[in-house]
Amino acid sequence: MSFPALAFRNVGVRHEPDEPPTLTEVSFSVAAGERVALLGLNGSGKTTLLLAAVGLVPHAGEIEIGGVPVARRTLARVREGVGFLFNVPEDQLLFPRVVDDVAFGLVRRGVAPAAAANRAKAVLSALGVGHLDEASLHHLSHGQKQRVALAGALACAPPLLLLDEPSAGLDPPAKWNLAHLLLSEPAAMVVASHDLEFAGKLCTRFLTLESGRIVRDAADPGDTLRAWGGP
Amino acid sequence: MRTAWHDIWGCARGPVARLLPHARILAGTGVFAGCMAAPTLDPAGAGLAAGAAVLWMGACAPPFRAVRVMVVFGLVALLPYFALVALLGSEAPGTRSTLAIAWDLFLRAMCGLVVSVATLTTLRASDLREGLVRLPVPEAVSAILLQIVHQTALLAYETSRVASAISVRGASAGHRTAWRLLASLPRVWLPRIVERADRVADAMELRGYCESNLGFSGRVRIRLADGVALLLTWSVFAAALAIRYRSGR
Repeated sequence: MSFPALAFRNVGVRHEPDEPPTLTEVSFSVAAGERVALLGLNGSGKTTLLLAAVGLVPHAGEIEIGGVPVARRTLARVREGVGFLFNVPEDQLLFPRVVDDVAFGLVRRGVAPAAAANRAKAVLSALGVGHLDEASLHHLSHGQKQRVALAGALACAPPLLLLDEPSAGLDPPAKWNLAHLLLSEPAAMVVASHDLEFAGKLCTRFLTLESGRIVRDAADPGDTLRAWGGP
Repeated sequence: MRTAWHDIWGCARGPVARLLPHARILAGTGVFAGCMAAPTLDPAGAGLAAGAAVLWMGACAPPFRAVRVMVVFGLVALLPYFALVALLGSEAPGTRSTLAIAWDLFLRAMCGLVVSVATLTTLRASDLREGLVRLPVPEAVSAILLQIVHQTALLAYETSRVASAISVRGASAGHRTAWRLLASLPRVWLPRIVERADRVADAMELRGYCESNLGFSGRVRIRLADGVALLLTWSVFAAALAIRYRSGR
């Protein structure tokens, strides 16, 4: 029996007891290899949903990753199978040198340092920043940091990718290269974005969040585009 | 021209910069420990601390602009301690005079600053991880040290961004920006830093930085030059202890 890569069942998140919930009764599932866009305006709950999926915010309801429920005792196991991109890339870069940061996940999983560094360099090259492998993170632009953070998530080839605004801060060629690269990834992915053009190139299913609820689950982003005042 | 925090790294060209990375860190730690242990109210102790700091800076040989920045910063940050003398009078409630307390604080902190920054100037980003991985300390200590240095660099960058925003939006420059930055620390800088610390903690947890197997194990290797440097620098610490013992302070 194969499990969905990610499943939400009646998930709710409330940051403060006396404030409205950030997520309300969210239910959906993502099949293995499926590429889902999570669309929504600022403050609609996209980031909270992704953080809840990896147990970084407390939630009500059930979340499963690869059939394993997300709970305190399973967090380490669940997170082994997830590649995560935070919406501020600087926050997740933990090493002063680019190649060390990208290789970190592999080394922690027991890959020999030399092999991990080689894999890290290959992923960096695929993302168009191979020349930065020895650079200090403090000398990179926002777009370069974004790609290095993404390389760290991709290097471990996880079965599920949760990407928060992956195209933010990228120039158009880098954005299209990223879309092509992600299209070649076999992993299931949930891409939180309000960049409909990018999401449209990459994803085959479009969930729209409004005030913490999923209001649309469609095979194309047209309805969402119109709801946002587009053509 | 301003010397940014990240431009300080790896800019030194002295003989210390040619030691192995972990030997640079350990040797710098030896000099630092010597400066902190020296009894600065004793002329021999003060001479040892000041002399060791100056010699260490010479051996690291950072560029003049970096030396100037660290000395000016040290003077601005530490000279106000002498205001204690005016505030508290000539005699403190304890046994030492306020002037002696201010001098003790000033000399120790200045020497510590000079030694620390001079050591940092010998380390590039890649050296830092190499050096920390090979320190003869538990893996968790290396990981924490690495994060302290890395996150401090990010904080410095964040601070410079706040300063830029204040100078542009407040149409100010120079000292006026510095004062406005100081005034904004509790309202602007601190909330940003706290929020950022939360997000970094999430990322560390998610990426498994808090777990035991960080791949930080490394074999400790020492060459002759490194051994000599370590012997010389840690002898500063030994001399400081000897002076302290002799002077009974």
